[in-house]
Amino acid sequence: MTSPLIYVESCPICGDGLCRIRICVTNQRLTGLVLCDECEAMWTDPSMQERIESSSSETEPSCPTCNQSLWGEQSHWASIGEVCLLGWFDRVRIAKV
Amino acid sequence: MVSRKRTDSAINTLRMIPTKWAIVLVVLLIGYVLLQPRINQWLGWNLPSVASLVGDEKPTTKKEPKPTKEVVSKEKTSEKVSGNVAEKTSEKKSEVAQATTTKTANRTSDSGPKDSAPKNSAPKNSAPKDSAPKDSADDRIHGILKDLGRNRFESPEGLVYGPGSEEGHRLKHIERHLEDQPSRPGPHGVFDGDMKEFLVAIDRAFAMANKGAKGSSKKEDEGAVVYEATFEKPIGFLGGSDGKRRKNPALKKMRVVVRGKSVITAFPVQ
Ligand SMILES: [Zn+2]
Ligand SMILES: [Zn+2]
Repeated sequence: MTSPLIYVESCPICGDGLCRIRICVTNQRLTGLVLCDECEAMWTDPSMQERIESSSSETEPSCPTCNQSLWGEQSHWASIGEVCLLGWFDRVRIAKV
Repeated sequence: MVSRKRTDSAINTLRMIPTKWAIVLVVLLIGYVLLQPRINQWLGWNLPSVASLVGDEKPTTKKEPKPTKEVVSKEKTSEKVSGNVAEKTSEKKSEVAQATTTKTANRTSDSGPKDSAPKNSAPKNSAPKDSAPKDSADDRIHGILKDLGRNRFESPEGLVYGPGSEEGHRLKHIERHLEDQPSRPGPHGVFDGDMKEFLVAIDRAFAMANKGAKGSSKKEDEGAVVYEATFEKPIGFLGGSDGKRRKNPALKKMRVVVRGKSVITAFPVQ
């Protein structure tokens, strides 16, 4: 069975990535944000109005809450349940890949 | 045996209630049987099946529960959701949060991300040394990359490929662009060649954009620089669902996203 791929839209920065919902959980705090799976550009939420900045010295995107890498073990792509919890379900698209 | 007794007592109970209520109960039961697996799948819940309730089957338990899913779906305590942060007030600690304490630990981790994207079976950070061919003369990876140590490799133009990305290493990440992913939503640039040719083309695009060659550009974006260069001949084709819909047109442009000297990603674009 294939899992759904949850995304907001194609990335306006790199043109090839998908802006997907990334979850980071540390100290019982769940942070949700939008992360391009190609160029790693970040936005605070699916409206994609506000970028999350990262410096050129950082080679991995980091969580704005705990500062850990968003490719770390405490982080993962959001499930549908988590997207609902964040109140973003009506702002994402779901594709079977 | 136990389940048989339970089933009999359920039938006796049904006989005692008015017919119309019995019909309503049966309809609700059928609805539950049909929707239970889907609700579990959609919402990540673990509702027991009817079979397990009457004792024929044990409730399904996830062999490797994702701690964060567990936090979201099984917490009975209140959750504060503000902006993009949902705060848990439960005493129960996330296994993931406990296990991961430092950024360094994350980056050197061997386990892959928990996500819905296709998984790569290779362990994190191991790709270049394990699978990439080395030039025996000077130990260069893919014939052109110099080993800088700590799993970092430098191209002749000074671009660095190191640990990072969902796949664990940037070389593993850009390797995604050597093959089409026709079911992936949107565009997916596919390079037509092998890894060595791809790395050479990335270097060339980077050099052309730096020199301001015709059809090239260099744009800064939040700490990253997006380089783009146009080649004389096609270097690949447009894949993904967009490419499939448009019959995979040939592509002559390369886009390279760089942070400092580190390549984040690179792929052919329209
Ligand atoms: Zn992007
Ligand atoms: Zn975090």
